[in-house]
Amino acid sequence: MNPDGAAVVNENAAVMPASDEPRGPAAPDAVLRALADPHRREIVRLVRNAEMPAGQIAANFDLTQQAVSQHLMVLKRAGLLEERRHGTRRLYRFRPASLEPVRELLDEFWPDALERLKGVVERDHPRKSPRKGTK
Amino acid sequence: MTSDHAAARPSTAPIVASVRIAAPHDVVFGYFTEPALITKWLAQTATLDARPGGVLDIDVAGNPVRGEFLEVDAPHRVVFTWGVEGEAGMPPGSTTVEVTLAADGEDTVVTLTHRGLTGDFRRSHEAGWNRRLTALAPVAAQR
Repeated sequence: MNPDGAAVVNENAAVMPASDEPRGPAAPDAVLRALADPHRREIVRLVRNAEMPAGQIAANFDLTQQAVSQHLMVLKRAGLLEERRHGTRRLYRFRPASLEPVRELLDEFWPDALERLKGVVERDHPRKSPRKGTK
Repeated sequence: MTSDHAAARPSTAPIVASVRIAAPHDVVFGYFTEPALITKWLAQTATLDARPGGVLDIDVAGNPVRGEFLEVDAPHRVVFTWGVEGEAGMPPGSTTVEVTLAADGEDTVVTLTHRGLTGDFRRSHEAGWNRRLTALAPVAAQR
């Protein structure tokens, strides 16, 4: 596998160019895809309060270092993690701001669900003559 | 803005959603308390015991949501806890969903408020993103 992580994970191909620059909010899709994997969610939990070197992150998993590196790359590209180099070490920390676009999506969960509820109830219990144009 | 500052945003603010439904509230109420009805709009499977202390076990887009009814005041109000089994970020009991049904003429206005349970603001604040992360799983699954 490519140590640069360029061959990372197919699902992530469309995300964004690799860069060490902090960036604005990533697309929600990229964040959601990155978080769809339990290992990656665990990595985010590990570094959410403290910066941590890659090796220490890897030590928490029963995965090859390379697999962990790939996960880190996916998270970094999605904007969830910030990478900093210190000598030969790479240090990672969580970027809370990366969840902002996802927060917007989450905010849509209940409104979407309630819209479905409305549709279902009104279909199950149709009124003969809708009077007030409340639909 | 640094990450630390971003974390200070009011991420634990309750989510409030509302909808007007052209049906009486006693009809709408059942869609929150009866398995055969809740599975029409929210869950794939459901075990509901709609009385205080009764279980609410529903599968939402592959997520085992486990909760407990706290208040059941048909047809006005129902409150239940909401968490995902096996999910450290939002374990069962960690959040609460409050639903009020207000009759408005022949319609019902449903208002749903989803909030964190813990009274320890700081703790809930730190866990806020984690809960979001978990709660969005159903959103993601539906995309």
